[in-house]
Amino acid sequence: MIPTHYFLILSAILFTIGVCGVLTRRNGITIFMSIELMVNAVNLTFLAYARQFHQLHGMIFVFFVMAIAAAEAAVGLAIFLSLFHHRETIDVDEANLMHW
Amino acid sequence: MLEFIVFFVFAAIAVIFALAVILHRNPVVGALSLVASFFALAVMYVLLEAPFLAVLQIIVYAGAIMVLFLFVIMLLNLQHAREENTRPIQQFLGYTGSAAFGLGLVYYIAKYAALQLPNGPFNADARAVGVELFQAYIFPFEMVSILLLAAIVGALLLSGRLPSKVRAADGEGAR
Repeated sequence: MIPTHYFLILSAILFTIGVCGVLTRRNGITIFMSIELMVNAVNLTFLAYARQFHQLHGMIFVFFVMAIAAAEAAVGLAIFLSLFHHRETIDVDEANLMHW
Repeated sequence: MLEFIVFFVFAAIAVIFALAVILHRNPVVGALSLVASFFALAVMYVLLEAPFLAVLQIIVYAGAIMVLFLFVIMLLNLQHAREENTRPIQQFLGYTGSAAFGLGLVYYIAKYAALQLPNGPFNADARAVGVELFQAYIFPFEMVSILLLAAIVGALLLSGRLPSKVRAADGEGAR
C-alpha cells in the first residue's frame, strides 16, 4: 500500500503546475486547461483522503467535481467562442469587455 | 514493490505531460498532453482503490471534456496562432510565485508522512458509490442535473448560434 502523503505531494505538484500555467500564459484555452489540471489535482487529494479515512464521501465529492467541471468547461469554452467571434483572438489580455 | 514502481512511473508521466500543457505553445499539443496526464491520473485512482472513478475519469475527462477542448481549438483554428509571451515581470512573478506556493504546499504536506493507513479492505466499487450517491446525496445529485441543464442553455446562448427569431425576441439584451 502506497502511503497517503505520496499522493498528496503528487497532487501538490500538479496543482502548482496548474497555478503556474494560469499565471504565466495568455492563451485563454491554455489557461482553461491549467484550471482543469488544478481541479484534477484536488480530485486526487479527495481520493487519497477517502482511502485514508475509509470514507465514501470523498469519492462522491469527486463525482460532483467532475460534473461541475464539465459544466464549467462547456460554458467557458462558449465564452471563448463568443470572444473569438468578436475579437478574432482568445488572448485574455484582449478580453476587456463585459457587454458587446 | 510493484505498486511503487507503477506509482512512480505514472506520477512521472502525469507531471511531465502537465508541464507540457503549460510550456508548449501549440494548444493542440497541450490538450493532448492533458489527456495523457488524465490517463496517468486514472491509474492513480486505481491505486487509490477507486476503480469506478478511474473509469469515470477516462470517460468524462479524457473522453468528453478534452474532446470539447480539442473541438473548440480546431474550430477556432488556433493551432497556428502565435501566442505572445506575457510581460517579463508577469513571467517572473508567475514562476517564482507558483514555485514558492508549491514549496509551501509540499512543506505543509510533509508532516502528513506520519499518517498510518487503516487496516481492512475499503469497499469502494461502483455499487458502494452508487448506493451512497442515491441515498445520502440524492438532493445534490438532482441539483447537479439542473446545473448541467443550465450550462447547456448558457453555452448555447453564449456561443451565439441561436436562430435570429429567438434573438429578436430577446431584444437588445442578447447582443
